Amino acid sequence: MSTREKIVANLRVIRTVFVVFFKMLAVDLFIIFTVLIQPLLIALLAIYMNRERASEVAIYLIVGSGMTGLWSGLLFTSSFAIRGERWFGTLEMLVGAPTHLGVIMLGKTLAHVTLSLSSMIFGYIMAALVFRFPLVIIDPLGFLVSLLFTVVAFISFGLVIAPFFAISPAVEGWVNALEFPVYVVGGFLFPILILPQWATPLSYALAPYWAAQALHLTSSGAGSVYPNFPLWHDWVMLLLFSVLYLFLSRWLFAKVIRRAKVEATLGLQ
Amino acid sequence: MTGLLNWLRVFVRGAVLSYIALFRWFRPAQYTASKIVMPLNQILFFTLLGSYALGTNSAPFFAIGNSLQIAAVSGIYGVTMSVGGERWEGTLVYLFGTPASRMSIFLGRAFVHILDGMLGVILGLAWSGLLLGVDFSHTSLLALALTILITAASTSGLGLLMGAVSLAALETFFVNNTVYFLLLVFSGANVPLQNFPGWVQAFSYMLPLTRGIQAARQIVAGAGLSEVAPLLIGEAAVGAIYIGLGYLLFRTFETIAKRRGRLESF
Repeated sequence: MSTREKIVANLRVIRTVFVVFFKMLAVDLFIIFTVLIQPLLIALLAIYMNRERASEVAIYLIVGSGMTGLWSGLLFTSSFAIRGERWFGTLEMLVGAPTHLGVIMLGKTLAHVTLSLSSMIFGYIMAALVFRFPLVIIDPLGFLVSLLFTVVAFISFGLVIAPFFAISPAVEGWVNALEFPVYVVGGFLFPILILPQWATPLSYALAPYWAAQALHLTSSGAGSVYPNFPLWHDWVMLLLFSVLYLFLSRWLFAKVIRRAKVEATLGLQ
Repeated sequence: MTGLLNWLRVFVRGAVLSYIALFRWFRPAQYTASKIVMPLNQILFFTLLGSYALGTNSAPFFAIGNSLQIAAVSGIYGVTMSVGGERWEGTLVYLFGTPASRMSIFLGRAFVHILDGMLGVILGLAWSGLLLGVDFSHTSLLALALTILITAASTSGLGLLMGAVSLAALETFFVNNTVYFLLLVFSGANVPLQNFPGWVQAFSYMLPLTRGIQAARQIVAGAGLSEVAPLLIGEAAVGAIYIGLGYLLFRTFETIAKRRGRLESF
């Protein structure tokens, strides 16, 4: 098979997995809660907490609560992406298929990141229709580009989370505990300046922080810790993290496939 | 006398066994993650969010509110799964076939979760004191302990109602998650109730936790038991109403299930 044929075949697999998995997620009430209802309730909460200045900060809160949906969706679906196949008894077949397991997981991750984006859209609709806030994105083009970089970075992150949880059963129980810390150090709904200084490196080491920076900067003008910090720095950081995550993911998937094909222990709980 | 002893035996054994059965897969690391680290993270997030909105002086308001809210982790999720688990595990047939007191079976499903919920609240308050600057120097510990007990019990009352609902509903987790987050928004843990429109405030007072959180805040500020007694009586009454509704639903489902001969599908 030539390189071009391989690429076309992989793209076909990604599309098929995307379509099937998107349909499955769209009717899964746990996912609907995680990417839609929970972010809406967090947005509602944040609006009432900021009641005095809600109309001024509404777009900041909507983007921030949308980020919580994006992260929670990624965390729960990616951490279950491979483990779920193990539960359903389909993991061995996937690992044995000619398509690389990472390609299949890419289709799945793409599906839930796409679905998770809806949390921002519904938050926007709620704030505009229910609260009648004037919602203006100050740099629409910059926002769209930031969103694109965010999607790429989150997909890459998802491709690290999926194999990591598959080969580390001991950390399975920690999924719930990882949800809120990233809301905090990611600076989704408040600037990280209010955190102790020792927490700042944690923020810098995570792509969700740079995504929140870029999205806040282009939507409300808020978000940058340093004055005049250019937007393209956030984009470069997102790109760098995407590449880093992909390398890490490649190594982790090699471990997953080794455990499945050589040690034959992957299917064991 | 024998009847009472039997009632207590079913209550205690049912309480302990259902708790052990629910968490049979639990290991110390997972317990730490779910019951200690996750609640701490939640308290930190909402306290920081509130402090950013209303200033750092407001941190105790959010820290106390969210610490009390931790009672809902055990009260809603734990109790619902303990009641609903009978259906998922296929043991409902045997449960409805026993001559044991239904009230003792039903209430027993909440008992250990109330204690567990109290432990969660105490840990949350300890975190709040250590990390978020909540000052307990004027606090009547006895009054606070009673408040925690009543709040954990009333939240478990809502859990018992949700558990009875889960005997007939399929998407229990969806309903539980929604109820849990509705409590976060409307119980006053994170938003002063006066910020809500009147009809939302009326809804808030129909929920467990609302009065318990108010009482805890007053006690930490120095109020005595007599000052918060009306709030605690109200909190207990709300809990009792939910328990009553839950029990009524539980018995109704039992009757329907037996009449139709479809014990686990209704």
